[in-house]
Amino acid sequence: MATQENNDDRIALLQGTLDLLILKTLALGSCHGQGVARLIQRQSEEVFFVDHGSLYLALQRLEDKKWIAAKWGISENNRKARFYSLTAKGREQLVEKQSEWRRLSRAMGLILDSSMEPRGEEA
Amino acid sequence: MFKRKRSAQDFAEEIKTHLALEADELRSEGLGEDEARWKARREFGNVRLTQERFYLKGRWEALDKLFRDLRFGLRSLLQSPGFAITAILTLALGIGANTAVFSVMNAVLLKSLPVSDPGSLVYLRTSNPPRMTGTVDNNETFSYPVYDALRHQNGGLSPVMAYVPLSGSKVAVRYGAQPEEAEGDMVSGTFFSGLGVSLPRGRGFSEEDETNHAPVAVISYNYWTRRFGRNPDVLGTTFYVNGVPLAIVGVAADGFEGVEAGGSTDFWIPMQNRPELNAWGNPLEDGKTYITNPTWWCLRLIGRVAPGVTRTQALAQLQPVFQNAAYVGLGSPMEGEKRPVLSLIDAKNFPGYDQTYGNPLRILMAMVSSVLLIALTNVVMLLMARNATRQREFSLRLALGAGRSELLRQLLIESFLVVTAGGALAWGFAEMATRLLGRWAQIESSLAPDKTVLLFTLAVLVVAALLFGLAPLRVALAGGPGLALKTSAAVSNADAGKSRTGKIIVVLQMALCVVLLVGGGLLIRTLRNLTNIPLGVRVDGLVVFGLKPNITAIPEGVAFYQNLIYRLRTLPGVESVTIMEERIGSGWSDNFDMLVDGRLPDVANGASRTVRSNVAGPDFFRTLGVPVLAGRDFADSDTASSPRVGIINEQFAERFLPNLNPLGHTIADDRGRFTMTIVGVVKDHKYRSIDEAPIPMAWYMYAQIPMTGPMQVEMRVHGDPLAILPAARKIVQQIDPNLPLIQPLTQRAQYDTSISHQLLFARLAGFFGFLAVVLVATGLYGTLAYRVNTRTAEIGVRMAVGARRGQVVWMILKDSLLLTAAGVIFGIPLAMLVGHTLASSLYGIKPLDAISYMIAVIGVAVVALAASAVPAGRAASVDPMRALRTE
Repeated sequence: MATQENNDDRIALLQGTLDLLILKTLALGSCHGQGVARLIQRQSEEVFFVDHGSLYLALQRLEDKKWIAAKWGISENNRKARFYSLTAKGREQLVEKQSEWRRLSRAMGLILDSSMEPRGEEA
Repeated sequence: MFKRKRSAQDFAEEIKTHLALEADELRSEGLGEDEARWKARREFGNVRLTQERFYLKGRWEALDKLFRDLRFGLRSLLQSPGFAITAILTLALGIGANTAVFSVMNAVLLKSLPVSDPGSLVYLRTSNPPRMTGTVDNNETFSYPVYDALRHQNGGLSPVMAYVPLSGSKVAVRYGAQPEEAEGDMVSGTFFSGLGVSLPRGRGFSEEDETNHAPVAVISYNYWTRRFGRNPDVLGTTFYVNGVPLAIVGVAADGFEGVEAGGSTDFWIPMQNRPELNAWGNPLEDGKTYITNPTWWCLRLIGRVAPGVTRTQALAQLQPVFQNAAYVGLGSPMEGEKRPVLSLIDAKNFPGYDQTYGNPLRILMAMVSSVLLIALTNVVMLLMARNATRQREFSLRLALGAGRSELLRQLLIESFLVVTAGGALAWGFAEMATRLLGRWAQIESSLAPDKTVLLFTLAVLVVAALLFGLAPLRVALAGGPGLALKTSAAVSNADAGKSRTGKIIVVLQMALCVVLLVGGGLLIRTLRNLTNIPLGVRVDGLVVFGLKPNITAIPEGVAFYQNLIYRLRTLPGVESVTIMEERIGSGWSDNFDMLVDGRLPDVANGASRTVRSNVAGPDFFRTLGVPVLAGRDFADSDTASSPRVGIINEQFAERFLPNLNPLGHTIADDRGRFTMTIVGVVKDHKYRSIDEAPIPMAWYMYAQIPMTGPMQVEMRVHGDPLAILPAARKIVQQIDPNLPLIQPLTQRAQYDTSISHQLLFARLAGFFGFLAVVLVATGLYGTLAYRVNTRTAEIGVRMAVGARRGQVVWMILKDSLLLTAAGVIFGIPLAMLVGHTLASSLYGIKPLDAISYMIAVIGVAVVALAASAVPAGRAASVDPMRALRTE
């Protein structure tokens, strides 16, 4: 991310989280790659920076797994673009990954929050 | 399965779109045109790297998958090593035998002469030589005047080239002090340029070389490698041929070993006129060499059809020139004499090869193809049996979501592994076999597998791989995913076990096996007949070698051999020693009509007057072990000054002196020269070859004939005949250090060379018959063992309801005997067909030889029983309780 200017207030994505973000973004409707990147960035209130190269490789990976499908179409400003949409399999995965992530972040939260408290207390 | 999901180009396109969309958006946020584009690009990062990663990801996945499949295939093969080894060996033998025979066929029948534009080369042939001439071959050799006239005609053929060996076999050469032998030809000055043979080192010959009889030589690439280890300093080396110094000036292109069939020429020299270098190594006839003697038709001719001229036109131009030149030095043709007619034949391939090897090679090729067919079907059956028992595995995998394409892929990979291993082994096997074949067939020209052979083998391998991958697929998929849920062995295997395909294949194999056994049997019985032909000569203990002393005066020559015989007799272990002009068993002989009592003898009903004669030394018949029926053998006391004596055989006496005592009558050659008194009659024996028919023969005493040249020395010794050679060589070199022993051989081996082709052919055919039997046996065993295995439950039930063990065994045996009977029924008519095509290769046996057929039938029956014995035994030992309990 050498091209990044103000990387202080942006966070590089954790391994594996990008897939989830893509699935979530596409759950809102089909979209092209550039739109997905923008949406992720915008909805995270510009906290996440999406490396575009990795994004396209991730899209390809998800497409290979048949979680998303792609086809060439025309963008709102009349450019030819590749549009991605969620498949049924992708939708299942989204549900699963979402709950997985929620459990993970809850556990993380518990640990991080409890570190202020005295030790020895079991939750 | 194999499709590439998305092209890198498509991916690059998408990135380009991204950059454009991003720039659009940045522009709408208020950035300038250039800045927006630049920023979009910067935000993206490294475009090239991303594309590369996309590309590698796809490649790597495919490779990874392949590796995984290979590993899986290897593992599953290793799980049944018996199957893997049998399949690989079967394949290696089948394909190896095919590659070997095809290599030889390719080299002998298919390959062109290694010259430029072989299509326009022609060999010259004559219908017959004129009267009163001597020839080497009635149709293939010409006199020097004919050659001279033809090469000076213009148009038609350009150039006409002559070539003639310096010896019937090998010629004595010497480098420094060491005498050796090599094959050398005298050729026209236009030989190399006319054939278009390049000389990677040094130079070829020019027409001046021929006119001046220049003492120079070109050696073959093969000889350069063999004798000189490709030493580049060989150019300029002087060597001696029959004592004549010659300088090496060039090395011919790799692969060029002359234009004559079979042999490989080691060196070429321009046509010479010295008596030491007469054509064929012959002594001068009335002081004339091949150049000055128009009655000796000894040169072989090859020509190139001139550009723009058809072969017919060329022949029309040459014919009058030829017919005129044919009578140079002979006087005009007699009234009604049949004039010789010239013809041109294709020189694309080696002549004579097809005649000698064509038919046997084609039959061998058919045999090895049958062996290959058996081998391939064997492996298919093994694979089918194996995959049928794996049906459970396949069903399970189908049930777990593997696609049919995945299974096909796996089967193909497994067959690919088997075929690769088998193919590699086959190539090694073929290399070895080809070398053996070449040595046996005495084909010295290069038999090394070339591109054609490689292609042939690869084609066979690809067919095999596809066959092995696809054939078992049906069985593998037959189960479907539902089968995994069933548990009964009886249910899951019975269908495949009853497969009719298996039975048909076994019957086919049996039929082919019968054919191969009949063919092999006929040829082996021919071989036995040939080797058991009484030679009339006691060959054990005889050794023979040639000598070619450089002597021109007749008394000197007689003294040389007299001295030699005396000294050889003194060697310990030597019983007797003699000499002869033509080596017996070598295929050479002097043939002409002989005068008996001064005139051509009358013969009953037009029988031939031809007599084969030879010039022999003292103790000739005692040494050979040929009984003298009347009179005496030649003796030391028969000398140039004593009365001239000759000896004849029974046939001679019967045909030309019927009901007379031949002793005391005289014989002479057809010109009335060399009149000899018959002093002995000997029993008929073989002269030229083992398979010749008895013919009248006559012998002259060498000391009474103007003979000085090469002779063959025959020695009868105690113990190993070849062991005497070092001592004999020492004595020869004490007399003349220049003299090598030419082609030393036991007399038995010398006779065997006359049937070497038949020997080789029969041995190979026998071997392939045997190979077929072994393959059929393993195939049948595999099939039966597998069928018994799948019928274990059935057998258990049968035994539980009262079947006795004998009945069970009979049930299995009956099965294979029925298959055998069907195979025999189909095989016999096929074998009769094959026997018919073999007819010309048989000796002393008919194509419908009952014994060969019986042996073949008994052979397959025994094989079938032997292959069934183990499975039948296993069936009989099935424990009914256990068989039922496993259900």
